[in-house]
Amino acid sequence: MIKFNKIKKIYHMGTQSLEALSGVSLQIAAGEFVTVMGPSGSGKSTLMNIIGCLDTPTDGEYFLEGKNVAGLTFDQLASIRNKMMGFVFQNFNLLPYATAWENIELPMLFNGKNARNRKERITELLNEVGLLKWKEHRPSELSGGQQQRIALARALANDPPIILADAPTGNLDSKSGVEIIELLSRLWKKGHTIIMVTHDDRLASHSQRIIHLFDGREAD
Amino acid sequence: MNLTLLRFFSNEFRKRRKKAALITFALFWGSLSILLLLAFGQGMSAQFRISFSGLGQDLIMISGGQTSKLYQGLPKGRRIRLYPDDIQYLKERIPEISLIAPESYNNWPVSANRKEINRTIHGTTAEFAHMRTQIPQMGGRFLNTADVKNGRKVAFIGWKVGTDLFGTENPVGQKIVINRIPFTVIGVLKKKLQDSMYQGPDADQIYLPYSAFTQIDSQLHIDRIHIQPRETKLSPLIEERVETLLGKKNRFDPTDRYALSIWNTIENAKEAGAIFKGIEVFLGIMGALTLLIGAVGVTNLMYAIIRERKQEIGIKMALGAKRRVIIQQFILETLFIFLKGTFWGLVTAFNIIHLVRLVPINYDGFGIEGYLLRPVFSFETFIIFLVIVGTLVFISGIFPAVRASRLNPIDSLRYE
Repeated sequence: MIKFNKIKKIYHMGTQSLEALSGVSLQIAAGEFVTVMGPSGSGKSTLMNIIGCLDTPTDGEYFLEGKNVAGLTFDQLASIRNKMMGFVFQNFNLLPYATAWENIELPMLFNGKNARNRKERITELLNEVGLLKWKEHRPSELSGGQQQRIALARALANDPPIILADAPTGNLDSKSGVEIIELLSRLWKKGHTIIMVTHDDRLASHSQRIIHLFDGREAD
Repeated sequence: MNLTLLRFFSNEFRKRRKKAALITFALFWGSLSILLLLAFGQGMSAQFRISFSGLGQDLIMISGGQTSKLYQGLPKGRRIRLYPDDIQYLKERIPEISLIAPESYNNWPVSANRKEINRTIHGTTAEFAHMRTQIPQMGGRFLNTADVKNGRKVAFIGWKVGTDLFGTENPVGQKIVINRIPFTVIGVLKKKLQDSMYQGPDADQIYLPYSAFTQIDSQLHIDRIHIQPRETKLSPLIEERVETLLGKKNRFDPTDRYALSIWNTIENAKEAGAIFKGIEVFLGIMGALTLLIGAVGVTNLMYAIIRERKQEIGIKMALGAKRRVIIQQFILETLFIFLKGTFWGLVTAFNIIHLVRLVPINYDGFGIEGYLLRPVFSFETFIIFLVIVGTLVFISGIFPAVRASRLNPIDSLRYE
């Protein structure tokens, strides 16, 4: 499903340049649950961003379902993010002025889904994360665990095959963290491909495979 | 665009509109100025046209002059006069003439109601009314052809003559004595604005049938011929033919600029109309510039909003928002900010204009207020306003919106 061929990413900051990824090659099959681990600055987030089509590699090839992602326009990448990727961030990244309901609705609005389908899907997702009665609340009125569950529901709005979770439990207490991991495991069992970044070995144990990154390379 | 998305964007906007308060005021002020300037400019033009037509509509006025060229052995410096038979003579020979009327005048004592005043008394015909905007007040009329044909002793008087002699009483039907001959007042001139005149404003004049005038005044010549062409564009042609024909009849060189004195109000009105149009355009531009200051404020605000919302833009991009969606949101916000300010500007301007229009104009002493007190809020003004505002919304919104849509989602998401 995902194939990296010698992916490089170099960031330029003024006169300095930083090689975040220096030739990573990897494959992730559909339906896998993969954890990416590594110290800070090892390129985990960059890897996730490139997989999620939020960022483009400086060099190398990225095949998503056999198609080369390089050379796609911003709007084509936006469409891939919208339909194929579900993002879960460490800091939730919910829109502060929108209710839980509206936050989940947004990806579907970008997708042009009709009102009846949206309503059904949001209700279904809120039920799944157990927050239906919080639908009219804004993120600031929800606990961290609740916010992350809304973020997960939002990530699932368009039923994307791939879920990208960048340190999803990093800002949560352990109990809420476990809830999120359980939700992710359930999704994996339903057939979603899960790619998660974490520093926590216990969480990593839920996954099938661990990719260790070190200094922008895959560590053996 | 999807309605839910529109509602979503307007919700996001409403949460922060307080920041737009000062800008809203700038837009309110700009809209108010642009609308008032346009309305007063148009009002001035309109009032100018009205007061100009107070003298007459599409009028060519001819009076005698003094020759400055030798003609068929005759010396220069001869006085040229016009005579009553010139009217028929010209009418028969110039088919382009629509209306033509003679006018003679002299000062005579007028008495009535045991008061005596001195006024200019004019002798003319029924056609004069159409050319010189002589509209009677209710219950009266101007001289008609029968009055002229039968030499009836009737008089049409200016409204000031009426109040001078009869006070608040209705002058119609009353007797006035001019040069010891009694006349019946048949009509009083309706109040009007008049900025051009040759014997004082029409409010002070008395008009008699030409045939009756010749019975109190021994003058043989006429002082002025009034001509209205069938079409305004024929006026230069008529001028030329009048000079040729009268030159032949009254013996002067038709190319002699001083033999006749011709006052062509059509050409004057064209020039003045162009000047007023120029003033209107100038005022409109001034207003647009005032609004532009507000628009610059909006652009500034939009850039600030983008900086503040970098993360939200990044989130939307991560969720699959295309560039178009981001641009739409920022253009819409620009529009919302504009709508509020300009709407209140529109309402305020509309009310000010209609309040000003309620102030009565003093028709007796014509002053600047005649031009300023009748601003016009026309559909045209409204359309011009909409076009200017629409353009400014686009110009002030598009640059920030495009900048927002070009943000890198990674940088935006990292922003905290």
